[in-house]
Amino acid sequence: MTLEQLLADTTPALLDIQQRDLTEIKQAKDWQAKYRVLMQLGKKLPAIPEKMKQPELLVKGCESRAWLMHYHDKATDKHYFVLDSEARIVKGLMAIMLCLVNGMTTAELCQFDLCHKFDQLNLKPYLSQSRGNGLTAMVSRIKHCCG
Amino acid sequence: MPTFDVQQFRQQFAFFQQQPEWVYLDNAATMHKPQAVIDAVTQFYQQYNSNVHRGAHQLSQRATTLFEQARSTVASYINAQHLHEIIFCSGATAALNQIAFGLMHTVLRPGDRILLTQLEHHANIVPWQLHCQRFGVIIDVVPLTPDHQLDMAAYQQLLQLKPKVVSFSHISNVLGHIQPVADMVTLAKAVGAITVIDGAQGIVYQQPDMQQLDCDFYVFSGHKLYGPTGIGVLYGKTEQLARLTPIFAGGEMIDSVSFINTTFNKLPFRLEAGTPNIAGAIGLSAAIEWLQKYNNQQIVQHKSLLLKEFYTGLTAIKAIDILSSSVHNAGIVALNVDSEHPADVAELLNQQQIAVRSGQHCAMPLFSYLARPGAIRCSFAAYNTLDDVNRCLLALEQAVEILTA
Ligand SMILES: Cc1ncc(COP(=O)(O)O)c(C=O)c1O
Repeated sequence: MTLEQLLADTTPALLDIQQRDLTEIKQAKDWQAKYRVLMQLGKKLPAIPEKMKQPELLVKGCESRAWLMHYHDKATDKHYFVLDSEARIVKGLMAIMLCLVNGMTTAELCQFDLCHKFDQLNLKPYLSQSRGNGLTAMVSRIKHCCG
Repeated sequence: MPTFDVQQFRQQFAFFQQQPEWVYLDNAATMHKPQAVIDAVTQFYQQYNSNVHRGAHQLSQRATTLFEQARSTVASYINAQHLHEIIFCSGATAALNQIAFGLMHTVLRPGDRILLTQLEHHANIVPWQLHCQRFGVIIDVVPLTPDHQLDMAAYQQLLQLKPKVVSFSHISNVLGHIQPVADMVTLAKAVGAITVIDGAQGIVYQQPDMQQLDCDFYVFSGHKLYGPTGIGVLYGKTEQLARLTPIFAGGEMIDSVSFINTTFNKLPFRLEAGTPNIAGAIGLSAAIEWLQKYNNQQIVQHKSLLLKEFYTGLTAIKAIDILSSSVHNAGIVALNVDSEHPADVAELLNQQQIAVRSGQHCAMPLFSYLARPGAIRCSFAAYNTLDDVNRCLLALEQAVEILTA
């Protein structure tokens, strides 16, 4: 498995999430329904093989660990990511985040406001507990990639 | 003696009236405070607030009296021989840091050994590690048996290495197991070791008797005994406290100062530098006085009833991996849903307003031993009801259903 392969698997999965699951989450009639979708999201993203989880990729939450890989296409100035987490709900939330930022240019990434986007998806409460689940750490790691 | 009335007990906690929809099972992290404690703290600030041992005025004398009465309440609660054996500090962590720092050089020399156990809280590992590394002291660790109890045979063998200090928890904050502390103290004393007990979880389970237990140090935090945060107790026998180098200096702990030499005040003040947490001590004392109105045996019975119900309910839920033993358990259950990360389980419980803790509970060495990424921890207190137990079980069932869908 290489970063190229992981990127190639991640991009269509994110497209699928964006086109189908986000609406489903927004329209979920109760929390159970929302969580059922959230937990499926993580499964759609490829898992980073254990061997590739180098310490420098680790993004630490209080309760679970996540990993982020980054690729910057210099020709088009676009940023692509691959991520994984031990915890399924966190991975689902991170998948949504990734849908929003994958393929952004450096300038777009710098301006990106996750808080606002999550609010639109009725997911803002998850950001308030994000110190624990590592979402904030993941956002700042992603932002860090734009220099 | 009338039986324990959990509703009457629970009514004294305003928290449950404010948050009626929550099931609070995170008592090992911190407990709620009864009105008696909140009132005592408020009353102090409203009516007597002054510094202690300092002012020439009556207000300060009044504050000093209340503060010293608090010391006396604690001393008699744990049956210390002398009042000055009760040192107020900010909590169990501060107390353990004081002991570890304080014994270096005065007791522990390069090449000496100390003995800890596999299931200690980081607060009873890292302070030792920090100072042992600097002073060249060796740390040995008592392993666990396959059912996650302390391996007493290994303990006895490790004692043969003649550790100068043995430090262990009264009750494991992850598993809830009650350690055989009386035997452990006796065995350690037989090889001449100084004994330190981390009573952070033990203090609320049982009223410990210092003279009977005969340990050298026992530490705990007020907030895990219905008291305020930021107050704790370092109990030590007089001759052992005298051997501690103070970790903090300044204020009341000093007798005379010149730039050539400083002499220290007598116990307990020598180990209480700076303005103490006066309101905290008064609050802790109020908590103890309030708690003593209840029969502890009945509280223990009530909690073991909750635990029994919980264990029975758990066996009916599929895919639950229980780490805690149901025997010798003080009311803490660590568990996982098979092959699921504890953070996911805890989040699904959080959605259902069940407050538990998840993760490694400041006991990473224990979890690497257990070979689990962590666990969720349900910890019960006297104010929890059978209804709390059942709601938690239902919520767990719901979580399992969502996770395995
Ligand atoms: C066994 C044990 N030791 C020490 C501590 C530290 O207590 P505190 O954070 O109140 O200082 C705790 C608290 O979680 C504990 O459970």
